Amino acid sequence: MGIAGLTFLPVIGAILAIVFAARAKKQILTSDLEGMGLAKAGRTLGIIGIVIPALALILFLLRDNVRAFIDEFFDLEIMKESWSFLLRGLVVTLELALVSEACILVLGLIVALIRISRIKVFRFIAAVYIDVIRGMPLLLQIIIIYFGLSYLGLNLSRFTAGVLALTICYAAYEAEIFRAGIESIHKGQMEAARSLGMTYLQSMRFVVLPQAVRRVIPPLSNEFIALLKDTALVSVIGLGEMMLRARELMGTKASVTPLVVAAFFYLMITIPLMRLVQVMEKRLSKGD
Amino acid sequence: MIETEDENTEKKTQAEQSDGPMIRVLGLHKKFEDFEALRGIDLDVLPQQVVVVVGPSGSGKSTMLRCINGLEQATRGQIFIEGIDITHHATDINEVRQKVGMVFQSFNLFPHLTALKNVTLAPIKVRGMDQDEASEKALKLLEKVGLSDKADAYPAHLSGGQQQRVAIARSLAMDPDVMLFDEVTSALDPELVKEVLDTMQDLAREGMTMVVVTHEMGFAKEVGSRLIFMDEGIVVEDGDPEQVFTNPQHPRTQEFFSKILSHI
Repeated sequence: MGIAGLTFLPVIGAILAIVFAARAKKQILTSDLEGMGLAKAGRTLGIIGIVIPALALILFLLRDNVRAFIDEFFDLEIMKESWSFLLRGLVVTLELALVSEACILVLGLIVALIRISRIKVFRFIAAVYIDVIRGMPLLLQIIIIYFGLSYLGLNLSRFTAGVLALTICYAAYEAEIFRAGIESIHKGQMEAARSLGMTYLQSMRFVVLPQAVRRVIPPLSNEFIALLKDTALVSVIGLGEMMLRARELMGTKASVTPLVVAAFFYLMITIPLMRLVQVMEKRLSKGD
Repeated sequence: MIETEDENTEKKTQAEQSDGPMIRVLGLHKKFEDFEALRGIDLDVLPQQVVVVVGPSGSGKSTMLRCINGLEQATRGQIFIEGIDITHHATDINEVRQKVGMVFQSFNLFPHLTALKNVTLAPIKVRGMDQDEASEKALKLLEKVGLSDKADAYPAHLSGGQQQRVAIARSLAMDPDVMLFDEVTSALDPELVKEVLDTMQDLAREGMTMVVVTHEMGFAKEVGSRLIFMDEGIVVEDGDPEQVFTNPQHPRTQEFFSKILSHI
């Protein structure tokens, strides 16, 4: 506790610094503005003077736990041993996400078009599909599809079952995004196209959809980021994507470090994507 | 899927009425929920006529136009375009619409396409015209409306008057036999109205059959060959524009003109 006691000295010094700086600022405000920057710097230094010793104190008091935490989560040896195995898992994760996304875009658009069709029964069916799927956890859907279909004699590979489950689930969400996009296009566009003699489908394809798709690219990209993360759930049926591999390694190495490496890999993909979506959103809002 | 073709009956009726009116409206009623917009319209539009439709807002002028090209479905009554009954379930409305051009108050240009592509889209997709032929024709039409230099501009970069003239060219690209104009100058800044009206006047001179819903009384007088006054879903007065203006018969017409003309 002797050393810990010493840390109180900078704290007291810092508090004094803040008080002086504040007083200096007040004086300067009434007369000379030149000293303002210095006073502010003094205050900042004072705050740092409090924060750093306080953190040091906490770390010192918890030093055994901190050491154990770093050993468990950031074990450099285990990182070296696991990164290539996990990277191969990331390839599977990306394949799963990309193949699924392609299917989702097609199914989602079809469901959206059925959802807004003029035939009541079609609209109803699409609405039920969307509600049922959105009302259940994805994890449950993956398990039902994989095991349910195998009971029905359909032995899908884990990858195919994963693509199928993700497609069925995400298509329901993306159908709603497509629908919102289509409905956001002024109805005068459809009317103008129809008045030229184009059929409903021609008007949709050449006039409404090109505009709607442009508007839904940012929300669809956000869905893709969510999908990329949700591929981890497919590990539940034993597909060797990154999450499953990380959990395997966690068992064999008796360490959490592989999960940290996996987290890093996920972020390497998702963070640039998130920035990209922001750029697209900005550009779209300017364009309109 | 519902719209099936029945070419035989179409051809027959067309042949029977080939010398008849371009548009014939019989007992047209249109009801929205609990509002009756049209309460029995009878109207014949002859080839090359320029019929100007005026009346207070809510009188059903626009609804009538929208019924004539099938954007609204008639609740009751019949509408014939060149003898083809568009209210008949077997009529291919897409086919009929190619003969009826429509220009809207809010232009409704396709914002993702250039002026030229706005004009070529329907001829290419509906008529199967090839790209070069359609572009050549579109350029001629843009020249006709005075916008050949704006062919590559997107609608967002055009003024309202320019957009509306592109919209007129777009309709003309389908070689319609009739043009419907639905308050096409109402959304325009006053200084842009003339260029659009001039374009319409040129069309009328070339012998285009037109039905024009408008508040532009000057246009009605100068270009219109016939003036129709509508109120509360019926045609109240129908006659020569000069005559209707100077000597309206019906009290409601008199009241309407006294209101709108008092500030001229």
